[in-house]
Amino acid sequence: MKPAPFSYERPRDLNAALSMLAASSGSAKIIAGGQSLGPMLNLRLVQPKLIVDISSLAELKRAEVSGSELVLGALVTHADIEDGRTADVTRGAMRGVAANIAYRAVRNRGTIGGSLSHADPAADWISSLAALGARVTLRSLAGARTMAIEAFVVGALESALHTGEIVEAIHVPARAASAHWGYAKSCRKTGEFAHAIGAVLVDPAAGSARIVIGAIDTTPIVVTEAAELFGGRIAADYKQRFDISVADALLAKAGIDDAAQRHIHVSVLKRAVLEAAA
Amino acid sequence: MKEGAELRNEREFPHGKSGQGVGARLPRKEDDRLMRGRGQYVADIRLAGLQDVAFVRSPLAHARIRGIHVPERYRGSVFTAADLVGIKPIRAVSGLPGFKISEQPVLATGKVRQVGELVAMCLAPTRAEAEDIAASVTLDLEELPAVYDMLKAREPGSGLVHEHWGDNVFLETNYEVDISAALDAPIKVTREISTARQCMSPLEGRGVVATFDRRLDQLTLHSAAQMPHITRSGLAECLGMEEGQIRVISPDVGGGFGHKGILLPEEVCLSWLTMQRGHPVRWIEDRREHLVASSNCREHHYKITVYADRDGTLRGIDCEATVDSGAYSSYPFSACLEAAQVASILPGPYTTPAYRCRTFSVATNKCPILPYRGVARTGVCFALELMLDLVAAEAGLEPGEVRLRNLVRPEQMPFDNITKKHFDSGDYPEAMRRALAAIDIDSIRAKQKQGEADGRRIGVGVSIYCEQAAHGTSVYSGWGIPMVPGHEQASARLTPDGGLELRVGVHSHGQGMETTLAQVAHEMLGIDVGKIRIILGDTAMTPYSTGTWGSRSMVMAGGAVATACRELGERARRIGAKLLQHDPASVVLQNGEVRGVNGSVSIQTIAHTWYRRPQELPADVDPGGLEVTQGYKPVRDSGTFSYAAHAAVVAVDPDLGEVEILDYVIVEDGGVLVNPLVVDGQIYGGLAQGIGTALYEEMPFDASGQPLATTLADYLLPGPTEVPAARLDHMETPSPYTQFGVKGIGEGGAIAPPAAIANAVNDALRPLGVELMQSPITPHRVVEAVLAARATERSAA
Amino acid sequence: MTTIALQVNRRAVEVSAEPRTSLADFVRDKLDLTGTHLGCEHGVCGACTVLLDGVPARSCITYAVACAGADITTIEGLDEDEITTELRAAFTREHALQCGYCTPGMLVSARDLVLRLPDADERRIRVGLSGNLCRCTGYVGIVRAVQSVIEARRARNIAPQADGGRTSLGPAGSGRAISSGDESRSARQALAPASAGAAPVRIPDFTPATVLDQRFRLPHAPAKVFAMFDDIAGIASCLPGVSLTAPPRPERVEGLISVRLGPIAASFEGAARVERDPATLSGRIVGIGTDPRSHSATQGEIRYRLLPLDGGAATAVELAIGYTLTGMLAQVGRPGLVRDLARRLVAEFAKNLDRHMSGAPSEQVAAAELSGWSIVADVLRARLARMFGRVFTGKGGAE
Repeated sequence: MKPAPFSYERPRDLNAALSMLAASSGSAKIIAGGQSLGPMLNLRLVQPKLIVDISSLAELKRAEVSGSELVLGALVTHADIEDGRTADVTRGAMRGVAANIAYRAVRNRGTIGGSLSHADPAADWISSLAALGARVTLRSLAGARTMAIEAFVVGALESALHTGEIVEAIHVPARAASAHWGYAKSCRKTGEFAHAIGAVLVDPAAGSARIVIGAIDTTPIVVTEAAELFGGRIAADYKQRFDISVADALLAKAGIDDAAQRHIHVSVLKRAVLEAAA
Repeated sequence: MKEGAELRNEREFPHGKSGQGVGARLPRKEDDRLMRGRGQYVADIRLAGLQDVAFVRSPLAHARIRGIHVPERYRGSVFTAADLVGIKPIRAVSGLPGFKISEQPVLATGKVRQVGELVAMCLAPTRAEAEDIAASVTLDLEELPAVYDMLKAREPGSGLVHEHWGDNVFLETNYEVDISAALDAPIKVTREISTARQCMSPLEGRGVVATFDRRLDQLTLHSAAQMPHITRSGLAECLGMEEGQIRVISPDVGGGFGHKGILLPEEVCLSWLTMQRGHPVRWIEDRREHLVASSNCREHHYKITVYADRDGTLRGIDCEATVDSGAYSSYPFSACLEAAQVASILPGPYTTPAYRCRTFSVATNKCPILPYRGVARTGVCFALELMLDLVAAEAGLEPGEVRLRNLVRPEQMPFDNITKKHFDSGDYPEAMRRALAAIDIDSIRAKQKQGEADGRRIGVGVSIYCEQAAHGTSVYSGWGIPMVPGHEQASARLTPDGGLELRVGVHSHGQGMETTLAQVAHEMLGIDVGKIRIILGDTAMTPYSTGTWGSRSMVMAGGAVATACRELGERARRIGAKLLQHDPASVVLQNGEVRGVNGSVSIQTIAHTWYRRPQELPADVDPGGLEVTQGYKPVRDSGTFSYAAHAAVVAVDPDLGEVEILDYVIVEDGGVLVNPLVVDGQIYGGLAQGIGTALYEEMPFDASGQPLATTLADYLLPGPTEVPAARLDHMETPSPYTQFGVKGIGEGGAIAPPAAIANAVNDALRPLGVELMQSPITPHRVVEAVLAARATERSAA
Repeated sequence: MTTIALQVNRRAVEVSAEPRTSLADFVRDKLDLTGTHLGCEHGVCGACTVLLDGVPARSCITYAVACAGADITTIEGLDEDEITTELRAAFTREHALQCGYCTPGMLVSARDLVLRLPDADERRIRVGLSGNLCRCTGYVGIVRAVQSVIEARRARNIAPQADGGRTSLGPAGSGRAISSGDESRSARQALAPASAGAAPVRIPDFTPATVLDQRFRLPHAPAKVFAMFDDIAGIASCLPGVSLTAPPRPERVEGLISVRLGPIAASFEGAARVERDPATLSGRIVGIGTDPRSHSATQGEIRYRLLPLDGGAATAVELAIGYTLTGMLAQVGRPGLVRDLARRLVAEFAKNLDRHMSGAPSEQVAAAELSGWSIVADVLRARLARMFGRVFTGKGGAE
């Protein structure tokens, strides 16, 4: 189980990397920590002509608070976040998510930018960052653009990245002092792919919530106008008012035909709501 | 049992107390090298000129081969069936009446019958390059309908795996004892029960390094194999060579569990290739190959009826069992061992007056099956123990009561059951009683009444089994398969400096035999285990043996080592008597010395004298010397019967389908334990595999016969958080037939857990009207069943 | 080949290797450090775990070339290590290994836990070791051994190091390599694509493993839509990733479908058979194709049925797209991902079909629809009558 042969480049800076990507016209793949791409290369599911290794680019290893948001370079690893080597504006929400991604040996190399780019619906960051209201900056030789996470993921393993474009940074807004956070996932075993994810950011004081149902084999369901999930209004009693049937209908609408699957998703979401309210 | 233990240490086995003999909890001799990365597994072997092999494998489950296209530039590096002139297919024939023969070509000819079947062999300096070549070969295949469902495969009109058979049944068997006597029983429960197809998944896969020695005119095959001598016999048949021209070496082996017990087409292919090319060649099974293409196990289906009286007394068992044997009969166990075994072992440790069992070994377009740890017992235990819980529910009894009412009793021992299995010894009800007490059934019932704050439901389940081990000639000769175990042999040799070399034909792939066989030798000769070396895994260095399978090694090789050492000790004692100038009748061998009234002489001195200073030996010394090979069989060769009662407490989340094991108790009786530390490890490890069967492991196939779990992200092996810290209790009822009273215990841990866990899950969910009769119990299956039960309840209301 | 310079077990090493060489193969094959074992080569089992810049990493999915300048410690480099020495004593005492294959990786991960965990909490140890599979021991001895070493060290007042000693950001092992700049360091040329097999002669019937039903509305009359379905080249141009390799004949078409699931790309080359029944405004396209690169094959069918809407001004297109995959792509597991891809392709197909048929600005189409309503209705009525006539006379099939 060895990869098909590929050429390898280690560009000296981001611009050089983007030039290599542009020149390859789609036959190159970016590698950072390689924790998602590595298995696919080894299985020969992916056979790029060229691998562009961006793992040494210092420009993508930043982590700084700018205004009320945290800006994380794409190369920040899950372990960097888990260990608190990066600042935290989410009052522990991101650390909690990071600590439960796969296994420590994977977290030591797996990056937040790589995880997003891979757009695996079962992965943790696309769901949790969508709930936190994060945005992502993409860069190509043509310039940069920034979009919400929910707009970035367009399908299973499919992101909004154009050919020649890479994830540069993730912008995480500060979690309001009044906002409650809940994150739950159901995995067949520790560290494996989730088969259901619920992520909720509820601010009863502001009467708002962001609710994400993830790991559904397609783009996560992101609900920003979430009042309906709580019987019409979001207030301190949101835990009691959480309406399972609304969530179930959302899943049915998203094409999840299997009732047992929907039930598991809804139950995981409920667990996340209870955790937020705890 | 305390008394037994004391008896054992003080009287029968004097050296247990020294911390090295039988019964000692001795840390293992093999650990150090393995912990320093100095083990040598087959992939670690380095030979000059070595080249790597990758195989082109069938992407389809069933197809006719119309063509194999090899790019021009790789013509010399790719080999197909047409090249393998004179190589015979693998044939594993059973002598049971009606068995249909399959021939497994080592490279496919005409048809492919499973995904992953070998079609072409590609050779290159590295594995990566060999895979490049394999990727460049294109196959022109005409797809045929895949036979993927063993039940449909039995129906007339099904596609055929082997056309000339006319159907897909390798073998059908029937066994009946007076089932009509049971039909008027007041309790009659009928169900369909099934267990999923699994992959054995040792952490190390199979692997082969083959080389040919022109001077010796000998093929040397290094292979991760459990049964090197059997591999050699099979190779000799396929290659048309004399056995003496073949040497099979099995180095350190990274787990076996049955997976490394069969002859591989890859072994034959690489043997041919190295002889063609004149340089060493290597193939290392990767995980994808293991999951997709190698061999599978455990896929059983039962249609079963249990008859009982109102007090839970068993009146009869009636069963039709089907086992998916895959496309080919694997060497040496054959395609029918597992299904046919179901008929003889289904009643397990229970007494029943009436019994009928019909079995089918069915060919499908899947990998061949082979006997995995527990073989058919895991499925049989699952089927019967789930049924007994239903009988208990019907009778309004605790599941434990039904067991106690029907288990074979100690006063019946030795006991011949309804299928003529001969139970050597044991107190099965006592094991069950201890398990029930340890799990504290009463407090769990009280807890269940209160309910859990988190919405989960608690359940408790039990199961019990018997494990026939160390099957002997009388058991296996009936199968008529290529392998029948006879006397097990061991060689014992004193070295000139007083060390001991033991040669055995069984192999060790985690069982710790470098330690435990040394303990046996220490028990007999008093030599420090540090000075005892075990040589195994090499046909050129060890006496013939069928190898390691069927939980036989400690009973058989342990017995052989003891027998050889006894004879060696006797020879040393006689030489010692000469050196002491005593009458041989007046000296004894004790703690590594020959002692007489006037003094003693150490084994070390005896050995030194024999080899280095023979001039000091009297002229009439026994010329037999200090090297002995002896054979051994237990007094009766019908096998040892170890057993264990398992009890599990689980918490089930009916909305998420998650099952957490809260407590797990095993009360096990493996006869006299040579090394309890090692035995505990076997049981804990077996339990983890049993949990895999119960909750995680499943190789699904789609309707075109494609295997769907091809990475370890899909085929889930239990990790540290999925396995609880189980509690173990040992009983040690000696076997009356074996050396030291030992019994085989290697497989038992994996037999009972699926049944105990499923019973616990069903116990938890029974109030909801849920019943799960299929392994593994996945979250999806649980939630599906819960929703279905809720819907039924709603429509009833 | 690329020259790779790094430190292994405190020794500077400079060896050439292909870029595709994993760190595991590099230490095993180039340096004969065979204590690092391969158990899965896809990052799950943990047998290959080594220390990379002092922290555990998977050497099977980390490429050696990406570790240039890094500091690697394999099990052989931990012979004298203090924590590992304590772990070895505990492992043998607690019988924490049997076959020994997982043991080197297990010790590397265990060492990291001993370093980082504040106390010997059993649950945290189990979670911490969950990336290392052992098939033999049931983990009992391993957990006990790790617990005992942590307890002993904390009792000796050796403080834990929560971050395992790592201070810099980014993937472990990265950051100390010299960049390749503009000079190209190409590996061997990738192999030429395998010669594609000829298009299959026979296109067999089959029962699809997965069927997706899709219903969408086109603002065009059914007859027009049906005519469109007869235009194979037109339909092909609406199917995402499809291109024709030979001029289509009415009943048979040969072509290429390229699909991409994230980074996974496949190109199925094959042929399709076209069946249509004007009477029922329905039809079927059934095809078969192979992707030589992944040794995968697919069979697919599109069944369609057109139903009049708004009295015939518009058409409800009922599509049932069925497919069966075989070979490597079928075996990757997680079929849900493939289903999502198929769903997206169908949606795009519907959109393209509409766009292709419209051709004209949307307002005009709307007007035409309105004015043409009665005519269309008449045509439809006639067709329906014909259809029933056929059914009752038992003929059916194409005209």
